[in-house]
Amino acid sequence: MTGTDFLALSPIIALAVGASVLLLQIAFLRNLKLTTGITVVTFLACLFFLFYITKLNHQTTPLLLVDPLSTFFSIVFVLCACITTFISYEYLKNRPGRNDEFFLLVVLATMGSIVLTYATHLASFILGLELMGIALYGLIAYPHQDDMSLEAAIKYLVLSGASSAALLFGFALLYAITGSLFFPDLLSGLASPEVAVGPQSPFWARQLILLGSALILAGISFKLSLAPFHMWTPDVYEGSPAPITGFLATISKGAVFAATLRLYVIGEFHNFPTIVTGLTILSIISILVGNLLALRQENIKRLLAYSSIAHFGYLLIALIAAGTLTPNGISAIEPSAYYLAGYIFTTLIATGLIAAISSSNNEENANLSDIAGLFWKNPLLALCLSVSLLSLAGIPLTAGFIGKLYIFQMGVEAGAWLLLSILIIGSGIGIYYYLRLIFSMTTDPSSSRSTLAPALPVTVSLITLTILVLYLGIYPQPLMEYLLWNT
Amino acid sequence: MENLPLVPLIPFVSAALLIATAGRLPKMVVGLLGAGSIAAAGLLVLNIGIEFLRDPTPMSIHLWTWISINEFKPAFAFYLDGLALVMMSVITGVGFLIHLYSTEFMQDDASFSRYFAYMNLFVSAMLILVLADNLLLMFLGWEGVGICSYLLVGFWYQDPANGAAARKAFIVTRIGDTSMALGLFLLVAELGTLNILEVAEIAKERWEVGATIPTIACALILGGGLGKSAQLPLQTWLPDAMAGPTPCSALIHAATMVTAGVYLVARNHELFMMSPLVMSAISIIGVATLLLAAFTALNQHDLKKILAYSTISQIGYMFLALGVGAYSAAIFHLMTHAFFKALLFLGAGAVIHCLHHEHDIFKMGGLRKKLPVVFWSFLIGSSALAALPFTSGWYSKDEILLATWSVPTLGPWLWAGGIAGAVLTAIYSFRLVFVVFWGEAKTIPDKQPGLRMSAPLIILCVFSIVGGLINMPLEQVFPSQTNAHAAGPVAWITMTIAIVGVLVSYLLYLRQQINVEPILNKPALKKLRYFWYSGWAMDALYDRLLVRPYKLTASLLKTELIDRFYNLIVESSVASHRALSITQNGKLRTYAINLVVGIALLAAFLTGIV
Amino acid sequence: MENLAAEQSILPVFVFFGAILLLVATMLGIASVLGERKQTKTTDLPYESGIIAVGSSQVRLSVDFFLIAIFFVIFDLETVFIFAWAIAFFELGWHGYLAVVVFILILTIALIYEWKSGALNWGVKSQTARKETS
Repeated sequence: MTGTDFLALSPIIALAVGASVLLLQIAFLRNLKLTTGITVVTFLACLFFLFYITKLNHQTTPLLLVDPLSTFFSIVFVLCACITTFISYEYLKNRPGRNDEFFLLVVLATMGSIVLTYATHLASFILGLELMGIALYGLIAYPHQDDMSLEAAIKYLVLSGASSAALLFGFALLYAITGSLFFPDLLSGLASPEVAVGPQSPFWARQLILLGSALILAGISFKLSLAPFHMWTPDVYEGSPAPITGFLATISKGAVFAATLRLYVIGEFHNFPTIVTGLTILSIISILVGNLLALRQENIKRLLAYSSIAHFGYLLIALIAAGTLTPNGISAIEPSAYYLAGYIFTTLIATGLIAAISSSNNEENANLSDIAGLFWKNPLLALCLSVSLLSLAGIPLTAGFIGKLYIFQMGVEAGAWLLLSILIIGSGIGIYYYLRLIFSMTTDPSSSRSTLAPALPVTVSLITLTILVLYLGIYPQPLMEYLLWNT
Repeated sequence: MENLPLVPLIPFVSAALLIATAGRLPKMVVGLLGAGSIAAAGLLVLNIGIEFLRDPTPMSIHLWTWISINEFKPAFAFYLDGLALVMMSVITGVGFLIHLYSTEFMQDDASFSRYFAYMNLFVSAMLILVLADNLLLMFLGWEGVGICSYLLVGFWYQDPANGAAARKAFIVTRIGDTSMALGLFLLVAELGTLNILEVAEIAKERWEVGATIPTIACALILGGGLGKSAQLPLQTWLPDAMAGPTPCSALIHAATMVTAGVYLVARNHELFMMSPLVMSAISIIGVATLLLAAFTALNQHDLKKILAYSTISQIGYMFLALGVGAYSAAIFHLMTHAFFKALLFLGAGAVIHCLHHEHDIFKMGGLRKKLPVVFWSFLIGSSALAALPFTSGWYSKDEILLATWSVPTLGPWLWAGGIAGAVLTAIYSFRLVFVVFWGEAKTIPDKQPGLRMSAPLIILCVFSIVGGLINMPLEQVFPSQTNAHAAGPVAWITMTIAIVGVLVSYLLYLRQQINVEPILNKPALKKLRYFWYSGWAMDALYDRLLVRPYKLTASLLKTELIDRFYNLIVESSVASHRALSITQNGKLRTYAINLVVGIALLAAFLTGIV
Repeated sequence: MENLAAEQSILPVFVFFGAILLLVATMLGIASVLGERKQTKTTDLPYESGIIAVGSSQVRLSVDFFLIAIFFVIFDLETVFIFAWAIAFFELGWHGYLAVVVFILILTIALIYEWKSGALNWGVKSQTARKETS
């Protein structure tokens, strides 16, 4: 371990120290305000270190590679975690029982997401994934008097465990063939499958790699809730406490995608046409199933779950097209990173608002009727939610539009016409249910009982996110340049 | 000059503040913010103008590249030259006076803050429009002013008629905007850039004068100009747009936005010169519009509608000037028109304000003594509108008509049309003055315009008189004109024809020596008058020609085959939604089985078993 | 080539796998085909001989049992890590020593947390917690 190693790991160390301090603080003095304060300070310290190392490109042990792209992702995640903290405080402060450990788990889950983002080794991949996952089980089940939330946690635990098993088995198969768990060594020797198809080639080795890849793909697809591994998503999102729905939809998925992107590009999976075809099928089914299921959904949390299924289907297009465009698949990074950042900010606005609604209503779920007339009661927040929904629908001047444009353009260049037509159909269906939400915000307010007045930090963070989404949509050039420059 | 970007930014920030506070600020602050921001922008323009006149080299400020995907790299950049400076001065100068006037005019309105938010946003968008160095950014401003116009026409949205007027304005201009967007697409596809200077340069290299593609592109872009500037055949929205507050009509529908079409053609004149056909079309459209609108204005009795038709007519003169290549004259008339038409609208606003929102001129009368300030503004404004000698309108209109005469073949005909229009203009503008301010008083004003309304009127009066002496820094922007101006009788007729019109008006409406009532009431003439009154029945024509067939087709297709196809999409979507929803049964074991089957299928697929 | 080796070493595994499937299927298949089916009073009982179960099988056990079990697992696993370090104590040197110190420090913090939050008490933890929050 050198000084640079410590510098590279400083964000993770900051979170670990923060978590330990939180443990001690909770042990001796239970005080929700203090806990929130320490959590926010921890995240800010982590952000400080992240900003400090934006230009660093350093392999810290074979486990972690700190590079500008992952640092960018980590900044996004920690920022969102910080906002989740504000939202959670609002959500927890009026709830009976011990609420302090909630933030401890949030810090640990965020730490998991950063480890996942920096992973260049299957061991650190699974380590980050499970650190995040186990913290999330606890978070989902946090309101344990609530049956829905317990049910969600059990479902997530069982299914996520099964998918992790598949993932691990896949890793084991790859290890059996390649003898390595390090991303760059995974398939580099075997990366030309056309050679392997010949009669003199080791057929079984190829089959086992493909079988391993299939299991890994299935495990990752589960975490990204790609169809047909999507079924847990709506139930778990619905049952989770609203801030955790946000965490699940944004940071958790984002981190898995960031790690997958790295595994896919560095591990050179795009050289296997069958894997690319498999991704194509997953993408098509996800887009269609996600959008169709969201169509007439009344529960906003479930609706967002379905919409996130579709969105990760769109994101896959970048991975699929990348292999055809550049031999090393590097062109996948810029569009998907842009799309992911835009998606995360956008979704966090929506889930944050739902958390605010459910905090003020004192019930877990927000239905279409709960946001009826929001434009008349709280125009500012209604505006935020509208921007978020328009961005999810991919309407111009929002981050969602630029992201989709990016992906669309990649698809055009790669000539993936089938995927593009599915993308268009999916977006078409999407506009219906996003606009339905906006429409219901303009209806007569008398039918809904909620009075929405979240605390200042929540309002400020939601507005900040909204401005960020609009900024990325109106003036995407700086981030594009940053991403292009760092890939 | 580095602070050029601040000019549109200041009104924008003010608009954003007003929108964000959503009417919670006291009226005093709103007024200060609304008018003050324009004043600040105006002072900046003044500063920039002085600097520019000292060193008149065009400059462009590249703020940032908006987006770069492959070759397409539209910039957010401003371009400052004489033309932009003139437009900026008009927008901020006249704009400030109108804002100041509005602070009093709108004082009792509940939506005071909303009004200023829209107005500031409009000024900002309009400034972006004239400062843009590429057509895409210009289009942003173009659409920005469109949306502000929509919002302000429908400002008093509680009355459905105002909403309908706003929609009409929006839809009709949208037809033009679509055409313009198509033109821009064509330019991008053909030239690969939208930068105005580059377009002109590459177009000259790549195309011959009179070739097909530039003609199509110019015609499409011209469509946008026609819509925005309310020229034939897209002029029908402007009279309805008078539903908005009068100061906004003064700013948007008289002084600035409606002249955007003129600016568009002037700014891209090098492109338009590639197509003589389109240029001739512009001049013919100009003359046709100015005559048509003048006839209609003659028969109106709503104070604001008369002014609206006169605006259409005056913009017709500007298009005529553009069409014959007299760009400086067009911009000159644009500027003087902004002064005197803003003056007239503000005067009309004062009359309406003081007469309990009375619009009908025949219910007014005898206001000369009651509202002296307004009377003098109207007299001066109408003189300038009628182009009586030595008023500002006289200088600009003469320049246009003399330039028209010297055009080969078409010139004299166009000139004759312009002269006829000038006579009509003089008649209807003085009809307005005589009917409203002389004669017996029919409605008694219940208040007097205050200082904040009078001061802008007086300042605009001064400009309407001496505005013709302003020397615009346009030599570098436009090609110098051949000074083969007609001499002798043509020049004399051009210069004095307006006086004839005033005399006719005097005899008909003030002296009433010639009693034309019996003649006018003859059935045939009555019909003709009604025809003119309705704006040459254009609305009815469009209703028959476009709106009704469209609605008919729509209602027919409601149950027809094509619609059934779309319904099928909806139904199949809903059906698949239902089918898929069944799978989400909330049972853990279903989900687990699904997971296992998914893994098995994926594994089978990848390993080539399936 | 190692792939070739993998192919050779893995093929028997598949054969073995197939053989097991075949064997089990045969046993169960033969039993179900040839087996006698009789419906008597005792057929549905859990045991054909022995004591018949009394009461519900779904007894609620105190969650503290699980808690203790989990603590055991956690601390047991941690011992495993420390053992692994102890074996290579000299090879790892100060570097390893520091790492283990950090490791044990975190363990201690966790232990303090458990102790103070009453996780080690049997059954009364929620009351102490309430006292502290109020």
